[in-house]
Amino acid sequence: MAAGGGGSGDPLAPAGVPCAFSPHSQAYFALASTDGHLRVWETANNRLHQEYVPSAHLSGTCTCLAWAPARLQAKESPQRKKRKSEAVGTSNQTDLLALGTAVGSILLYSTVKGELHSKLISGGHDNRVNCIQWHQDSGCLYSCSDDKHIVEWNVQACKVKCKWKGDNSSVSSLCISPDGKMLLSAGRTIKLWVLETKEVYRHFTGHATPVSSLMFTTIRPPNESQPFDGITGLYFLSGAVHDRLLNVWQVRSENKEKSAVMSFTVTDEPVYIDLTLSENKEEPVKLAVVCRDGQVHLFEHILNGYCKKPLTSNCTIQIATPGKGKKSTPKPIPILAAGFCSDKMSLLLVYGSWFQPTIERVALNSREPHMCLVRDISNCWAPKVETAITKVRTPVMNSEAKVLVPGIPGHHAAIKPAPPQTEQVESKRKSGGNEVSIEERLGAMDIDTPKKGKDDLQTNSFPVLLTQGLESNDFEMLNKVLQTRNVNLIKKTVLRMPLHTVIPLLQELTKRLQGHPNSAVLMVQWLKCVLTVHASYLSTLPDLVPQLGTLYQLMESRVKTFQKLSHLHGKLILLITQVTASEKTKGAPSPGQKAKLVYEEESSEEESDDEIADKDSEVSDLFPVCTSACISSYSVRMRPS
Amino acid sequence: MAGYKPVAIQTYPILGEKITQDTLYWNNYKTPVQIKEFGAVSKVDFSPQPPYNYAVTASSRIHIYGRYSQEPIKTFSRFKDTAYCATFRQDGRLLVAGSEDGGVQLFDISGRAPLRQFEGHTKAVHTVDFTADKYHVVSGADDYTVKLWDIPNAKEILTFKEHSDYVRCGCASKLNPDLFITGSYDHTVKMFDARTNTSVLSVEHGQPVESVLLFPSGGLLVSAGGRYVKVWDMLKGGQLLVSLKNHHKTVTCLCLSSSGQRLLSGSLDRKVKVYSTTSYKVVHSFDYAASILSLALAHEDETIVVGMTNGILSVKHRKSEAKKESLPRRRRPAYRTFIKGKNYMKQRDDILINRPAKKHLELYDRDLKHFRISKALDRVLDPTCTIKTPEITVSIIKELNRRGVLANALAGRDEKEISHVLNFLIRHLSQPRFAPVLINAAEIIIDIYLPVIGQSPVVDKKFLLLQGLVEKEIDYQRELLETLGMMDMLFATMRRKEGTSVLEHTSDGFPENKKIES
Repeated sequence: MAAGGGGSGDPLAPAGVPCAFSPHSQAYFALASTDGHLRVWETANNRLHQEYVPSAHLSGTCTCLAWAPARLQAKESPQRKKRKSEAVGTSNQTDLLALGTAVGSILLYSTVKGELHSKLISGGHDNRVNCIQWHQDSGCLYSCSDDKHIVEWNVQACKVKCKWKGDNSSVSSLCISPDGKMLLSAGRTIKLWVLETKEVYRHFTGHATPVSSLMFTTIRPPNESQPFDGITGLYFLSGAVHDRLLNVWQVRSENKEKSAVMSFTVTDEPVYIDLTLSENKEEPVKLAVVCRDGQVHLFEHILNGYCKKPLTSNCTIQIATPGKGKKSTPKPIPILAAGFCSDKMSLLLVYGSWFQPTIERVALNSREPHMCLVRDISNCWAPKVETAITKVRTPVMNSEAKVLVPGIPGHHAAIKPAPPQTEQVESKRKSGGNEVSIEERLGAMDIDTPKKGKDDLQTNSFPVLLTQGLESNDFEMLNKVLQTRNVNLIKKTVLRMPLHTVIPLLQELTKRLQGHPNSAVLMVQWLKCVLTVHASYLSTLPDLVPQLGTLYQLMESRVKTFQKLSHLHGKLILLITQVTASEKTKGAPSPGQKAKLVYEEESSEEESDDEIADKDSEVSDLFPVCTSACISSYSVRMRPS
Repeated sequence: MAGYKPVAIQTYPILGEKITQDTLYWNNYKTPVQIKEFGAVSKVDFSPQPPYNYAVTASSRIHIYGRYSQEPIKTFSRFKDTAYCATFRQDGRLLVAGSEDGGVQLFDISGRAPLRQFEGHTKAVHTVDFTADKYHVVSGADDYTVKLWDIPNAKEILTFKEHSDYVRCGCASKLNPDLFITGSYDHTVKMFDARTNTSVLSVEHGQPVESVLLFPSGGLLVSAGGRYVKVWDMLKGGQLLVSLKNHHKTVTCLCLSSSGQRLLSGSLDRKVKVYSTTSYKVVHSFDYAASILSLALAHEDETIVVGMTNGILSVKHRKSEAKKESLPRRRRPAYRTFIKGKNYMKQRDDILINRPAKKHLELYDRDLKHFRISKALDRVLDPTCTIKTPEITVSIIKELNRRGVLANALAGRDEKEISHVLNFLIRHLSQPRFAPVLINAAEIIIDIYLPVIGQSPVVDKKFLLLQGLVEKEIDYQRELLETLGMMDMLFATMRRKEGTSVLEHTSDGFPENKKIES
């Protein structure tokens, strides 16, 4: 239904991961994250429905995905696997998801079965697949790729029906016309193809950068006086890489007008577009555009011909975290996708991280030009996995197999072979045990075990960063290195740093030693380390004394107060212990209030004195602290000065 | 009657960064205006003629911006592919640009369609420039060639095929119409002479050259490539004068300040460094948000424009001095008020008695003069004073201590006031310049308020904080003492070696050599 930003430039960008709502009822939301996992979420209750990891998810990450139209189900299964019960049982359920990968293969994943349905490889693309489109009713699949070709697939037979060159550069996006007879493709230029003959029907030019998204916005031409041939008079929409405009084009009968009819401005490159089709002339087309900066722009417009000025959005939706207290400022939460619900009056928003997106239904209010929703997503980070449904399979490995792990080249990681009884593991999961956390997985991979001395890893020291920071005098970079508390790390870094950076480092440390003791203590660690490790080098320097003179004087002047400070510290400790002791006694009334030894003397005067003192203490108890402080200060003042 | 002597406020030099003339000059810019372009900004060029517009090359467009405009005042977008290196002619009326498809196009500033198209390069043209006579264009391309074009009849005059890799930068001499230099990814910078058909000079930079620059006099050449910026003396036949390594990533662009006294370099490490061209030391550095690809300075350094890889153009304007003048000035007494009676010539029998100059006293000095010690302390403990000028507060405390009345001044405070004092102590006790005075004050406070301790949780908490701080400071100083020991050791070995070596030197020459060898 909604064409995701599958073909958009950078797959690693936080906004712009391939994702799509399931067609018609939008019951599911599929998202292929950058770590190669395909996750299907239930939109109604924001729960993880299924998770699937393709076998080649590291080498060929998912670049685009598309849901199959629902009607296809009855005849979708391939010939050899056909079973009657299955074919009948899944009549009106959305099932198939097509995934395009970075290596050129296309995977068909069945959500009903929860596993891979089939693979489309042979004769297809040999480069990154940029966009996939299902044909509405013929069971065909169209895909385009960086290898400049467009391929028409027969899904039942898993074979290529037709393959033709679509552009001089990579083809980034596809769209099928509402009547299913035309195909729009976009690379550098937008081309309209006749599907039967695979001939170019029209060219459209005007985007400066490669086009990333395409979509038809109407299903019928605006004026119905002329006979409708299926394509003439239709409007469609295109967005391009690094472009902040969405252009609207019209297919005209005469071939003259090639440029865009009008355009919508957005704040950043569009990554996800959804729209409601208008049924009649008067009803405006509603358009929701998710930009790379994480905002959603809503447009409402009646498409009727040429408009010179770019249109701005009717409504902008942003999501931000609540700023807790004064210190933390609200941070924007990126919106990943937005889709109109079937009633056209509310919008499904998907926001947060791709790891754990939150799906929310928001009612549309066209009067407000700007909406900022405040959402707290900090507590959503723990995966709320509905464990009964997930089917995660840990690969079973025999002990001889070597597994390569992404990371530093030349670095050996030993993977523990999974326990042979996989069924048991699965059953454990089903019974309610949580999914294995990342920490446990890493622990199982056992990366950090230093096997031998020579295999000592280089990861835990940053001499390069330190050298770079000292060379360019980059404050942040130096902070990152110098403010570490790990003594081991300091030692390693100092050991590995080049000799010519020793003196600059000492100068930098001199600057930093003057600060607050909190941070300066860390600097002393560095200083000590440098002095111990590079003592021999330093002693060979002819101008050591002038080089380190300031440092020495600075330290000497600081330690002059040591004695006084220790004295003060003693006093403070005494004071604090008194306070804590009194607090303790306040908190728990001591069991025995009676004195161990009571000495009483009959004297009426003293008794009266005691009474007065008691009264005094009562008064001071009654009044807040300041009175007592005043009293005491009064007594101090009375002292002869 | 002896006058009151105001408290001497001890000033302490701020350690760390020195404020030089350069920092003042380069910091005197307004907050940057950021303009989003369509792609990475590969070149920014200022028109040499007023009104000093600038051309920005990004993606397949060239935008011309006015000095203070946020929107482009003109756009050249007739490129089929990425455009490169839009450069103004000396008279500011023509603009030349290269393109990814190998074409070189010449535009009139007022027109829209290209005036001339020079076809001949087979690959992307990354550098173009006008020669000093204004009638020729030099271009360098990825097909390893450098070509010289004639503007009037759009013909190619010369082709130089001496580079063995992409030619990515170049510039023409401002003085001689026949000389121009190009830098290439084959690590060389070559100077070509249109009269000889060959290069007349070639220097080896050592890294792929990303940018070259000729000084206005033509005597010095600056090349940037890799992490190095190198300055070459052309008059000595290409001798390396200085090699600067102040960036930790590739240097991408160079620029001279309008006075010629400062050299600026921008790099992928997101920094712009300013060098003095006399000492070749870094005198200032700017930070930017993304990797820098292009950099330009306006006439008289009025504007710094920086283009970055994320397509953002950052424009900084110099703060205008005229603004201060516009503020309404308070009327002051006329000049004659001040010189009234001053020009009176002394007669013979007159005895001149000068009226004592009225001394302006600070408020705290006035309080001290009238022995309102507690009030004086209150005044300097005001947050406005403690934050901005803690040295005044400390000086007053010191003065009170000298008079022996610090205890009285500190006494008699309620919870709020005493927490003010403690706050100040917590903030400044660890600073070595204030420590001796403040430690003393802290002890006095403890002595005074010991009897009433434990009655106010707020004050107790402050004391707890203070104790934590002092503990840390003591730990720190202990560490420092240890380090001092180490350094003593180092210095001692140093001195002994000097002594011994001197001794040996007097006795015999070669044992010393032996020692060095060992």
